[in-house]
Amino acid sequence: MNGGEQIERFDCFGSSCAVLVDGFDGTRSAREAVLAARRSLEGWHARFSRFQPDSELSMLNDDPRIVVPASGLLVRLAAAVRFAGELSAGLVDATLVEQIEQAGYAEDLGDTLAIGETLVLAPRRTVASASATPGWRRVAADVRAGTITRPPGVRIDSGGLAKGLFADVLAQRLAGHASFAVDCAGDVALGGVARAPRAVHVESPFDASVLHSFELRDGAVATSGITRRSWLAADGRSAHHLLDPATGAPAFTGVVQATALAPSALEAEVRAKAALLAGPRAARSWLHYGVVVVVESGAFQAFAPQPVVNFAASSEPPVASPSL
Amino acid sequence: MTKREARALADKRRAKLRRRTRRIRRSVAAVTAALFATVFLVVYVQLASGHDPALSASSKARQTSASHKSSGGSSSSKSTSGETSGSSSADTGETDGKAATSSEADEESNEAASSSESSEAASSAGESSTTEPSTTESSTAESGTGESGTGESASGESSSAGSGSAGSSSSGPSSVTTSQS
Repeated sequence: MNGGEQIERFDCFGSSCAVLVDGFDGTRSAREAVLAARRSLEGWHARFSRFQPDSELSMLNDDPRIVVPASGLLVRLAAAVRFAGELSAGLVDATLVEQIEQAGYAEDLGDTLAIGETLVLAPRRTVASASATPGWRRVAADVRAGTITRPPGVRIDSGGLAKGLFADVLAQRLAGHASFAVDCAGDVALGGVARAPRAVHVESPFDASVLHSFELRDGAVATSGITRRSWLAADGRSAHHLLDPATGAPAFTGVVQATALAPSALEAEVRAKAALLAGPRAARSWLHYGVVVVVESGAFQAFAPQPVVNFAASSEPPVASPSL
Repeated sequence: MTKREARALADKRRAKLRRRTRRIRRSVAAVTAALFATVFLVVYVQLASGHDPALSASSKARQTSASHKSSGGSSSSKSTSGETSGSSSADTGETDGKAATSSEADEESNEAASSSESSEAASSAGESSTTEPSTTESSTAESGTGESGTGESASGESSSAGSGSAGSSSSGPSSVTTSQS
């Protein structure tokens, strides 16, 4: 019984999410699968929000113990923090919670600044670099024991990493269907046994038009940028949520948006963030598999995946998400 | 610092930027006018004093063509440097329009980065330099990716973010859109 591709769209993670599934995987219909995926995402949003004091993540961040028992998914998020730091050579540090709160992102953002205003009021452009005392190095996850080890005070920000991780977890669950796509607030994982090509569009940061399109049979794409979550800081400068680990301040590098292709959504998320933080000259080196970098002038460059990768056929996942 | 004070600071900064832009614009206009007037005066004085270089050149050319009739067009073809530079700049324009090369993208963003003065220039240039999607070959079908192209309507399903909308599609897999979260 095939009722065509089932699509479920809903607001989650302060943005919009979508789950698209086609086919029966032996246990669940496409409709059941999209509804289950939606329930999972909404549940995870409540469990891993930094803004809810009783969330699992907030409780971990407030826990005075060094070794903290945690749920499987939270342990994987902690592993993802470590993975992101290692893959990006310290550019992506998900432990800058104090710094982002100081920058003005201590609660859900209301109205965000328009892109023009963000760029006009931005401080001098400099590329980001790794911190000399990175917090991510002090986070260790033991998946078997179900524990997270970090010095009390080192806090984890779920941010984009959690979205990538959730997209990957759902992608694993939906892998038996003919085709599927999970759009977790911009982090997209897709695939399916039919290996049907699916069009992927990259949205422009300036006017939400389509900037670039390509087709993908399996794998993941993630976009990171400075224009969707930006605000006016106390000093009258514009600020956003992507921080330079070296300074702890919002990074204005000249790149306004980067989109990365990768085998997993988590890796794509890390690569996109690293490309943005590295600035226009070095951005490409982080986009190992492609796709798009947009600079402040509005010019963009699209890269083909290099080298050609068959994600589905690769025997081992290249720099796979931790313990997926 | 309150939000109002921050807003006031931002307004002050914006006004300062505007004043600066006006100042730069005025000085560029003044320098351009002065340069034009100088060149115009030099040419005018030269012509008025009876030293028109064109006249002397054409008289020479006439003398030359009178003595060597067959070599007539060569001197005029040499003097078409204006046309040549015009066509080369048109080529550059075409390249800009198709896709920014990495150095171009770098240059533009460096302009934006180096100083606020040049960032003004970069942002004004940006208005006209939004590039079309590059049509770089992505990979073969085996690789998992297809080739790129301009997105025909990303719209519809993918861009609507309505809370809790559901639907189904009977054709091939629907498109998905990746955007900043």
